[in-house]
Order: sequence, then C-alpha cells, then structure tokens
Amino acid sequence: MNHNLLNAVFNNIKLKLTTTLAVSTLLFSVTAVVSTVQADETCMSPYMAKIIGQEDFVYIWTLGEEGLGDGQDKLVTVDVNPKSAKYGTVIESLSVGGRNEAHHSGFTDDRKYLWAGGLDTNKIFIFDVHTDPAKPTLNKVITDFVSASGGVVGPHTTYALPGRMMVTGLSNNKDNGGRTAMVEYSNAGEFIATHWMPTDENLRGAKKTGKFADGYGYDLRALPRRNVMVTSSFTGWSNYMMDLGKMVKDPEAMKRFGNTVVIWDLHTKKPKKVLDVPGAPLEVRCAWQPDHNWCITTTALTSKIWLIYEDADNEWQAKPIADIGDASKIPLPVDISLTSDDKGVWVNTFMDGKTRYFDLTDLENVKQTYEKVIDTQVNMASSSWDGKRVYYTSSLLANWDKKGADNSQYFKSYHWNGKELEEKFSIDFNALKLGRAHQMRFGAYSLYANSSPVEKSKLASLIEQN
Amino acid sequence: MKAKIMRVLFLIFSLLSISPTLSYSANSATENIAPVPLAPGYGTLGYELAEVGSYKLPALKDAPDGKVLDENGQQVQLHNMYKGKYTLLSFMYSNCKDVNGCPLSSYVFYKIKAAMNKEPLLASNLRLASLSFDPENDSPEVMQLYGNNFKFAGNKGEWRFLTTSSLHALNPVLQDYNQDIQRQMSVDGDQTEDISHILRVFLIDPKLKIRNIYSVGFLHPDLLINDVKTLLLEDEAADKPILQVAEEYEPKSPILSVPGDLKDGYETTSYTTQSKSLTNRKGLAADLFAVVKNPPLGLPKVSEPFDNPITKEKIALGRKLFFDRRLSLNDTFSCAMCHVPEQGFASNELSMAVGIEGRSIRRNTPTIYNIAYATKLFHDGREDSLEQQIWAPLLAKNEMANPSVGYVINKIRAIPEYKGMFEKAFDGEGVNMNTLSKAFANYQRALVSGDSPFDRWYFSYKDKKQENAMSGKAKRGFKLFMGKANCSSCHIIEKDFALFTDNQMHNTGIGFNESMGIRPATQRVALAPGVFVDVDTSIIDSVGEKTPADTGLYEITQNPNDRWKYKTPSLRNVTLTAPYMHNGSISTLEGVVSFYNKGGVKNSLQDPRIKPLNLDQNEQNDIVAFLKSLTGSNVDLLVSDAFAAPVGDITVNDPNWVHEVLSD
Repeated sequence: MNHNLLNAVFNNIKLKLTTTLAVSTLLFSVTAVVSTVQADETCMSPYMAKIIGQEDFVYIWTLGEEGLGDGQDKLVTVDVNPKSAKYGTVIESLSVGGRNEAHHSGFTDDRKYLWAGGLDTNKIFIFDVHTDPAKPTLNKVITDFVSASGGVVGPHTTYALPGRMMVTGLSNNKDNGGRTAMVEYSNAGEFIATHWMPTDENLRGAKKTGKFADGYGYDLRALPRRNVMVTSSFTGWSNYMMDLGKMVKDPEAMKRFGNTVVIWDLHTKKPKKVLDVPGAPLEVRCAWQPDHNWCITTTALTSKIWLIYEDADNEWQAKPIADIGDASKIPLPVDISLTSDDKGVWVNTFMDGKTRYFDLTDLENVKQTYEKVIDTQVNMASSSWDGKRVYYTSSLLANWDKKGADNSQYFKSYHWNGKELEEKFSIDFNALKLGRAHQMRFGAYSLYANSSPVEKSKLASLIEQN
Repeated sequence: MKAKIMRVLFLIFSLLSISPTLSYSANSATENIAPVPLAPGYGTLGYELAEVGSYKLPALKDAPDGKVLDENGQQVQLHNMYKGKYTLLSFMYSNCKDVNGCPLSSYVFYKIKAAMNKEPLLASNLRLASLSFDPENDSPEVMQLYGNNFKFAGNKGEWRFLTTSSLHALNPVLQDYNQDIQRQMSVDGDQTEDISHILRVFLIDPKLKIRNIYSVGFLHPDLLINDVKTLLLEDEAADKPILQVAEEYEPKSPILSVPGDLKDGYETTSYTTQSKSLTNRKGLAADLFAVVKNPPLGLPKVSEPFDNPITKEKIALGRKLFFDRRLSLNDTFSCAMCHVPEQGFASNELSMAVGIEGRSIRRNTPTIYNIAYATKLFHDGREDSLEQQIWAPLLAKNEMANPSVGYVINKIRAIPEYKGMFEKAFDGEGVNMNTLSKAFANYQRALVSGDSPFDRWYFSYKDKKQENAMSGKAKRGFKLFMGKANCSSCHIIEKDFALFTDNQMHNTGIGFNESMGIRPATQRVALAPGVFVDVDTSIIDSVGEKTPADTGLYEITQNPNDRWKYKTPSLRNVTLTAPYMHNGSISTLEGVVSFYNKGGVKNSLQDPRIKPLNLDQNEQNDIVAFLKSLTGSNVDLLVSDAFAAPVGDITVNDPNWVHEVLSD
C-alpha cells in the first residue's frame, strides 16, 4: 500500500468529511458527535450522551420524612422546560417504599436507567427513564447489595462505565464505620466485583504517600484520558445517619472522618496512590478540557478546595488551593458544580445556605467572586451544560438537616448571567408533603429515539462524549 | 451497488491513511465548530498499561446469542462462533463517517490483525468480528468487499465481517447487546444514511462471557491486546493451579481485640492511620460451650436458668441471631452493630449509640462480656434476665424497631437459612418468643472472660501464685483500688472470684450534670487529625435535636431519691470498652480516675462514698495500670469466634416486599 498515495486521497476527502460533520452538527437538533465542547451537565460520567440544550426534566431523588405525606422516599419529576405548559411544577412523584436515606443517583451509560441508592437500607432503585422520560417507573430494586458485595454498606455514587455501574460504598456491615469498597455491577443489575479501598494492612499495591490510608470512601470520578479514577472519603454509617448536633458533640465520632483521596488505575480498577486530603473530601469533579489533567474536591470539615493534579512527572498530587468561608464556623461545603470550561466552580455551604462561585481561571490564585444565600440550608447544585441555569435542592442527610423552621425543603431554579443568579421558580417540598429534596439529574425527550416529544421545539441538543 | 462499493472503498482509504498526529479543522465558513480530536485509538495511549496478568477482568455477563450472516451469506449462530477463541465484537456500518465511530473500531481491529500476523499466540486465540447494524446497505457482499480492504494486515488470524438479513433479524441482537441506534433525520424530517449510536466493542471469552466493554476513550489496540493476553495468562494459570497468581496480597495479621479503625492519637498532628483490612477480618469458631461451662480464672460458675440450660446448639443459634442484621425493621441492625466484637463487644466509636435510621440512643453501649453474671441489665437496671432483656432492643423504636413480637418471629420463620435450626436446638420446638429469647441468652451468657493478669496474680494461689503476672505499678494501683481510692466498695472483689461490680445503682453526679449543669458556650471540635476549632454551641444546636432527658433509675422506680442513679459496670476488659460512663462522656481511663479523684459532680443525691480522694498523679496512674491489667486472656478467642460468625444480610431469597411487587 502506497501511503503517499493514500495521504493524497485523504487530503482530498478530508475537507468534505469535515464539512459533512460540521453541517450535521449545525443542522440536526438530534445528533451525536465527538467534540471538545465540554461541560459537566454538571457532573455526569464522560461515557454517556449529555444534554447541551434546554433540559426537559429534573429528577429529584427525595427522602421521605416521617410524619410528612406518605413518609417514603420518592423520585420527583419536575418539568423545567419554559416552553412547556407545566413548567415549574411537579409532574410526577414515584414513592418507592421506606426511608432508605435516599442520596445520590446516576444514569447508566446508555442513559436509559437511573440508579438511585439508599445509604441506610442499601437498596439501589433502578428507574426506567427512557420509556417515558416524563414518567419514570421503577424497573428493579437491588436488595442484596450488602450480602453480594461481601459487606459493603451505603451505596453512594452510581457512576457509569461502559456497560456497567461503579457504586461507591460509605461503610461496612461489621462496625458501621468508614472502611468500605467500590462495588461493580453490570447495567442489568448483576454484581460483578468488590474493589476494597486501600488500608494500612492491605494497601492492595497502592502507595501510601502521607500519613493516612483510612480505607474510607465517598465519591468517584474518572478521567479516561489519563486512565485515572479518583475517589474521596467521608464517614461511616454511624456518623452519616446520626443527628448532626449529637455527632459534633461526640469527640469519638468526630475522629471517624476520611482524610484521603485515592488515585486508581481506571482500566484495572486497582488503587495506585493514597493522598492525604484531611477533613472529609466529598464531591470530586474532573476537568473537561483536554489539557487539564486535574480534578477538584472540597473538604467538608476543613472547608477548603483541593486540587488533585498530575504534575510534570506524571505523578498525581494533592494541594489546597482556596478556603471556603470561615472554617471555625463549620460552613460545611457540600455539593460543587464545575463549569463547562473548567473556569469556575459553584460551591454550596450547607450551614449558611450560601452558594458561592469560585474563579478557577488561575489555579494558583483561586478566589470567591460571588455568593448568594439560597435559603436557610442548601445542599445540591446542578448546572446546565451551558451554565445558564443552576438548580438547587435543600437536603443533606435526614438527620443532618436543620431542625424546626430552618428545615426548608425545596427545589429552586435560577438563571445565571455570569454576574447574578436570578430565581425563576421555587417548589416547596414541605408544603407539597414530598420530603427532603436531594440529588438532581436531568432528563430530555431527545435522548431517546422512541419517546417522541409532543412538540418539535422541545428537542434538546445532545452531545455524546464517550 | 457499484456506488455503495465505491463509497466503502472511499471510506477505507480514508481510514487507513489516518496518521496518529492527524487532526483536521473545520471549514472556516461553517462557523465555530471545534476540531474533532482523534480518539486515542489512532495514536499512542499516553499512559503506561498495567502489566499483563497483574489485574482481573471479571465476567460482566453472558454474551447474548443471535443469528447473523457471514461474508458468504451463510447463517452463523453467534454462540457457535464464540467458542474456541476470545472474540472482539464490534458493531459498525460501512457508511459511517464519524471518524471516532466505526472507522475507529475498524482501524483498531486492523492494528490488532497486524499484531496477530506477528504473534501466533494472538492469531490462534483471538477472533475479530465486525457486525453491521445497517443490513439494508450492508449486504454480505458489501461486507466482504469492506473486509477485503483490510487484507494487507496479513493473512494470519481471523476477522469476520458479519451482517444480518434485515432490520427485523438485527433488532434482537442489537437489543441484547444494548446497541441503541437512531437513524439521523435531516432538517426536512427525512431519514439520512447516518446512524447515531454509542460505540461499544465487546470482549467475549470462549465460555460465552463478556469480559470487557470498550468505548471511544480507551479503544486502543495495545489495551485490547493487553486484556486478551491477561485472560490467556489466567487460563494458563487455571490449568496449573499450583502456579496460580494469588488474587491479592493479603497479609495475615493477628486477630486482636482492637478496633479495625484505630484512632489513637487522632488529636495530634503526628497521627497516622492504622487501619485494618476488612477482608482479613476472619476468625475461627471456638468451643463456647466449653468456655462457659468452665469459666476462666477469677470467675464463678455461670448459673443457668432451670428452663434454659446451656447447650451447644442454642449457643450456635444465638450467635447466628446476634449477628443477623435482618432482625430489624429495615434489615440493617443486628445486636453486633452496637456490641462490636473487636470493640470490646461495645462501641468505641460513639459516646452514645445510634439505632435504626440513625435514631439517637441516649446512653453508651455497655459491653456484654460477663453479662452472664449481671443481676440487673441496662444502665438503669430495669431488667433482670437476659431472656427478657432481648425484647427491649428488638422492639425499641430507636434500636432495631421491629413493630411487634409476631413480626420478628414470622420474619425468622420466612428466612430460609433458619429452617430447622430452632427445632434442632429446642427438641422440635420451632421459633417462638421463648425459643428466640433462650437462644440469644445462651450466646450472650457464653461470653465469659477472665484469667486476666490480675486474676493470675490474685487468684492462682491454689496452684502456684504468679507473682509476676501483674506489674509493680498495677499492684500499687490495686492497693489504692482497695484502700485509699475505695473503688472496691462498688467494684467488688470477692475472696474466690471478682465481678468488679456490686450490681447496684449509684449517683456519681454524671447524670445530674447532664440534666442540671450549665452548658459551655463553645465546644471543641476536631476537623481533622490535630486540627480543632471552638464552635459556638448555638451553631451545634441549630442542627441538633433536643437532648433527651435522662434521670436514670428514677424513670423505673419513680422515686425522686433515685434520680441519676446508674448501674455499677464490671471493670473486666475495661481497657477495651472506651468511652466510659453511662453516656460515654469520658474518653479515657485516666479521665475516669481523675473524675472520681475530684469527687465526681456534687449533688444532694450523690452516693456518699464518692468524695475527693486526694490522689496524686502517680497514684492515679497506678490505678489506671491496675485497670489495664483486667483484660481477660480469652478475648481474642471470643473475638475470633465472633469473626467466624456469618453476618446476616438480606439476600434475594429473603422476605421483602420488593421481590413480590416487581416479580409479577
């Protein structure tokens, strides 16, 4: 084969090919191409299609509250498309039985199913969101997470890998403490493997780079380009389930928080490095830009933003890059949302109910540039792909939420113009007797071939990044 | 047909000429379309792959079967094709224009095919298969032509180019492999030849299991070959069991009665973790019957209720129940979740316990070591037999929260594992309120622990006094314990045995202080090892429920004189059962001795025996040394036995509403 000849042929066709791609991207409202235009919508797995236009729905995994409505956990669907007649209202509420400590949820890589974990009962509820995105149904419940995994408790992050879900645990069935594992499932909900977090006794081949190897877990994100998974560390069942005031007063309990971030080989699922990140690092978000080999996390107790980065020698390191509020008042940074261009991050602080915007354009000089009180308490923040819409919910954990009048429970929609957050609508989850609003995931008709929208205008643009 | 074939050739040419460094930019006339970077599969990986054989690729699921057509139009059953070799299966279509879609998978396969030409191991053990999801355009003839273009990769190894007879025939295969496709529409709503799909490549083993699924981000020839070689090595190792690579390095550590997540020194910046591996938390079943029938040195005979004699079968059954988390309303709570074996059968990690749904319990978890000798149970002494006691935690709303006795009985009856176990232990009598209580009591009664350094020093005189069993410091502590400090007036030592408790109720002032004391304005809180802040109590209160009242024995007797009285705990194994006092408010033994040295907390109902002791620091240290010599020699035996007990968690065979609701 004459490669010079081939290159000549290719040079002739390359423009045509590019034009075809470009035109198809511009003209079709539903398309799937690979692109460097990246965002986090706002923290999804890189292996799945994403909504880059106006989302149609937000699914809110909601904790039942004893004495409020039916007291059960539920998946609440809110119509968020301004062109819809039902814009800003709850259009569906699906109760699942029990109070399971509903917490996080995540789609499978085909975005057909939403896996939602219960940190207390260890059930994983798998919702069908593709048959009718406006009306999710309960497809399957994994009830044997603990026995199948060999004792992992507290299914937290449900993170899509190709054809499978990686579920991080928070605790174990031996002492309800923080030592735990990640559990791998097939998309069909079949157990595949348990990957234990490295401990001093069994580092599993990882290098303990500092003083800590606690074996704790919390969140998980992947940076496929660098073949890296990053996990953080929170606390065990006893702490995340107990009354927050009681816990803060208990010096024994306060010793049981994670102080580590673990770097894993994404391909082999083996831990490579244990980094010291003291003070309970929670949410992990990895940068999207192709030359950004870093992730960030925030520590709940020490109130800092930490950079987890690959240095010039291809070694992964961790360093604090900003303070979040006044640590002595325990502002409790909770959810974070990285912008599409890696230039900023929303950080919510639960105790003062504030959302704060940090400018990340210079990682050596990270500064808070905006803040706004959302309510008496705030936990989750979810930004749209284009960064123009930011949604907020209220609940942290059933027994950590504020008490009495300060226990506001809501879903709020804001528009962000780069300078100000403007509230568009708010739904009072207490008044509607729904419960404690926790994690949000976006849905759109255009994700699914077979679920035709009523109006053409409802089609959201998609981007696929696998 | 000619036009289609030309198009195939055109795409092949473009595909094979892609060089690793190539990327192309958009026509400037078409606005701001970002350049499409080529997937890693076209170039170098950019990171080092793990060594072949150093990792596992557990089976993800069974590879679905399906009927397809080969290049000659012959029908092929996928399962038949998979046999004998590893198969890399890719879904593609010949018209695909997305450079990081099907052309990528074909390019990667081409590279692997070239590797097969050089490596006989790959050529004889690996098969490539490209299956079209566009049967309307990709006939067997088109697929053959498509395949012919890859021939210069060499003639060794196998690469199949497959299609189906129709969309109807294809659909079940697509569905089974979860390959969603969508024919892209033009702006006029007409179908185009473009198909939108998510690229997935499957690695299938000869036993018809899917071992990996690849996407654009890591579909790279080196990585795929690495995986295939890893599986081949695993097969080879399986054929020679002796040479099999151990799954993971798991050093065997001694099983000790210490928490798996030890936090000693957390207050300091020099703290380092000493975490244990949960997969190493294994033990050996002990003969508990022998232990309880012949209690260790320093302990009296265990009395057995006339209607519940101790038997091996009942101990075994009680042990199973003790560790069964299904014995709670939401299947999350066993007795052992608070009475943690390696934490002194108590809880070192909490001042006061938490129950189901995290509900607050207002007192510290007491140890159940030597509970056989207790004549009063619970901190407030409200119960007097283990057979009766068990129902309190089982039914308490803030502990295991079972809604009724019948609920517990019926649940156990429905769990397959318990079938026949009660009948065997109780002469044919099945599970009921009585047999359940008796089984629990048998296990708890068996956890007797003595033969501590103190026992060997103090009680072994009959045989040969072991003068060196206890240190001089501890001996001085003993003297203070019996004399100046007067601890033994409540923590009693008899002539032939020592229970270290009078089984009576006393007011030390701890409870009084909790109820009546003035709360500090700030509280010191650890944020990380060696990092503290003083937090305003008002901030803590804003996220805390109101502290529940606790007036001790008064709650049982309603006698005002009994306010804030709590049971004297035994001191055996006291080193293992921190934190201390009924509310876990003192973290260390040093703190407890200091508390009593100061005379506790004065109040009008305080036990008169508690008064300032005027012990100097050395004397206090001596008492602590004595307390630390009360750890029984068999604690590791009992903990090891507990580790060997299965932890009961819900399985798909157990009763649960979900199985019924979703199965129909």
